[in-house]
Amino acid sequence: MWARASAGVVPGFFLAAALVGLGCWVLPGPWQSTIVAGLVAFFPVWIGVICAAFRFPDGKQAWGWLGALALLGLGLLWLLQMSGWVR
Amino acid sequence: MKLKPATLRTFTSVHSWVGLVAGFALFVAFYAGAITVFQPDVQRWANPHATPSTATLAEAQQLLDEVLAQHPEARDHVGMTFPGYEMAQPMAYWQDSDGTWLFASPGNTAGSPAEPDVAPLPELINELHYALGIPRAGTWLMGVVSLLYGVALVSGFVIHLPRLAKDLFALRPGRNLKRFWQDTHNVIGVLSLPFHVMFAVTGAVLCLLLVAMLALNPLIYQGQLMTASSAAMNTAPTVAKAGTAAPLASLATWHARSIAVAREHGDAAFEPGYLKLAHAGDAHAVVEITGSSPRALGGGSVALDAVSGAVLATQLPGSRDANHATLAATYALHFADYGGAAVRWLYFLLGLGGAFLFYSGNLLWIESRRRRRQAEQGRAQLHMARATVGICIGVCVAVSAAFVAAQVLPMLGWNVATGQRWACFGSWALCALWAARRAPVKAARELLWLAAIVTALVPVVHGIATGWWLWRSAAAGHGGLFAIDMGALAMAFAFASLARAVARRARRDQPNSVWAGTVA
Repeated sequence: MWARASAGVVPGFFLAAALVGLGCWVLPGPWQSTIVAGLVAFFPVWIGVICAAFRFPDGKQAWGWLGALALLGLGLLWLLQMSGWVR
Repeated sequence: MKLKPATLRTFTSVHSWVGLVAGFALFVAFYAGAITVFQPDVQRWANPHATPSTATLAEAQQLLDEVLAQHPEARDHVGMTFPGYEMAQPMAYWQDSDGTWLFASPGNTAGSPAEPDVAPLPELINELHYALGIPRAGTWLMGVVSLLYGVALVSGFVIHLPRLAKDLFALRPGRNLKRFWQDTHNVIGVLSLPFHVMFAVTGAVLCLLLVAMLALNPLIYQGQLMTASSAAMNTAPTVAKAGTAAPLASLATWHARSIAVAREHGDAAFEPGYLKLAHAGDAHAVVEITGSSPRALGGGSVALDAVSGAVLATQLPGSRDANHATLAATYALHFADYGGAAVRWLYFLLGLGGAFLFYSGNLLWIESRRRRRQAEQGRAQLHMARATVGICIGVCVAVSAAFVAAQVLPMLGWNVATGQRWACFGSWALCALWAARRAPVKAARELLWLAAIVTALVPVVHGIATGWWLWRSAAAGHGGLFAIDMGALAMAFAFASLARAVARRARRDQPNSVWAGTVA
């Protein structure tokens, strides 16, 4: 229980950040126009990820999957930002 | 929807634990928050001058002129409320050189760190609501509680999902008390779910926005969030000083201009509430006027050149950008700042319903762990029962005690702000201590009677202290004063009814329970 809860909180935080970031930057228009909506949406997205973490059979898998998805998401976001494909 | 039994079990224990941890704080937040919905009315009720007449724009102009003349720091940035916005008198506020906020009102322009002519009662209730009365860290604590609350909502919804439609309107009183509390908890939870989801999100935003911004800035905003957020959240553009002096246009000009500009943008009911003025005395002075728009979700604002009165920017309902629309909606939804009195009463009732939701959650937890065949009950259940009674009923006593103190202390000539805190937190601590040392059912009955008595005293001390007895408020058309006194009587009646119900249970009902009269 604790292992899955901490997976939702720690790597889940970075995954939620990546999801919100991708949403805000990939949407058409400048990223500045989604600042408030992104910050507000971050909290329910994080809550959703924390709850989803409990669907994994054990803590190891939860940490592994959420951590990998967070790295992948943030990596993709940074790649898009660096390459200038999103702005 | 079909869920695996293992998933259902996991979510049930997640819901129990998150609910237990956050439930107490949420009870306090909802009980105090329900009252905070009527903050301006509580302000009027607690102020010794119950019905002052609203100041004029000319008096507000004089206040602004004196503050700008006496305080050079205020010339950089100063804020001011228009007369009639939450209070009858205008109030100016600015930061001195070391960052302390100073306040001034007509006839009191020296700048004091305490808000002048403001009764401390509404702020105390508000602090209970957003920080449990804990300075600084309390707000972050409540932010974490909001997140846990969100997790509790999702997990509670998931475990109830298989029986959601079938049991929606089921309320089965009878000998099976677990089923009765379960039904009550579910029906309130499901029917007010949108309201609770909104509060979990907006509560977290209001408490943790700055922390989230600091954390997300390097992660997803390339470190540019702080510079970009100013344009996303303010209306007035950031303008550099010109370095040449120029006189400000009058307050009446700004007031009239903002209404005219709002009207041009289709907002006919715009009512200026407060202003922010930057670079007063400089040729590039900027004023931003924020106002309420009763027919929109959240008010708008108009930024003017404070010298010429020319429009610099607007963010008004119907024509504002996504950032300002989201921000205004977040605030308006949380603070019931839309839809008038009907919505505020709805929030009040849903707020009390929410408090009951958390209370019934604790009762349900105790009831489902009850040992039906023996008198001896588990220690955990006993502690839980004591804590629920002491903290939840205790805070009801404490809030009413603060209301009574707000009227009694000025008569005695004591310091209201300090005395009221002692009354509130002192009575709360005593209630918790009392509940810790008594059989839960006895403590519940006694504290509910205490809550009934203290709450019934609220309209009495108000009448004695100010002469505004409820019939006089009603006859004079002071709906807010009347509603608070009448609401206190209704709450006192409700507490007394609950006390009688608790006594009945101890006498008649099932003996093998932490609520039996025999448990010590």
